[in-house]
Amino acid sequence: MGEYQSSRLDGVFNALRDPTRRAILARLTDADARVTDVASEFPISLNSISKHIRMLERAGLLRRSIAGRDHVLSLNATPLAEAQAWIEKYRRFWEGRLAALEHYVTNKKRKRE
Amino acid sequence: MNATLASAAVVVRRTIAASAEELFDAWLDPEALAMWMRPGTIRSTVAKVEPHVGGSYEITMLGQSGPIVHKGVYRQIERPKRLVFTWASPGTELRDTLVTVDFVCVDKRTEVIVTHEQLPESAKSAHSIGWTRGLEHLDEACAQGLLK
Repeated sequence: MGEYQSSRLDGVFNALRDPTRRAILARLTDADARVTDVASEFPISLNSISKHIRMLERAGLLRRSIAGRDHVLSLNATPLAEAQAWIEKYRRFWEGRLAALEHYVTNKKRKRE
Repeated sequence: MNATLASAAVVVRRTIAASAEELFDAWLDPEALAMWMRPGTIRSTVAKVEPHVGGSYEITMLGQSGPIVHKGVYRQIERPKRLVFTWASPGTELRDTLVTVDFVCVDKRTEVIVTHEQLPESAKSAHSIGWTRGLEHLDEACAQGLLK
């Protein structure tokens, strides 16, 4: 992993931090959709939906193709896989550490008793 | 993919038959850290800790291919409920990430919840702005005190 990838990972995690953006991605896992369709499904203004979409595009999570007047959005799952790998690595790390913490603290108690 | 969509952070929980105090202290005691911050292939761990807010820590794990250094700064120390610190290591590309540890009493046991997340650039700058503003207020207060 290089500098480029880690800064991209920052962007991905920032993008995923917001529930509306997560919902937009979840919507696109089913099928590609037009911007106007996505906007109509969320109870917020077209302007704020556009901002969320631009942020997802910058994070590399969305692709936009333009067909005539329609802007069609599709999901790009590659950066998600990188984020998932990071999450998996640290999930295993902390699970291991908490098991060791339990072992350490309970052993210490047993010695005292 | 759904796991990623659900959350942008790693959350790991474990309920342990010990008091919150005992568990909390094991996070700030270098001797304790040396014992339990030692994953599988690590031969030994050395920890240095400045256990106060703004203080730093360094956990060096001696692996087969050399030492692996983990560093950070304590942001919140609320014994025995919550501990928040930054975490940078080769695994995070030496960038600061944020670890929050919550200790929740469940009957006579304690649930330890670790939340590990990437630190957004915006939060980092917001944090430094917060500090700068705090210092400005302090300056103002001092100036007013002097005037009186």
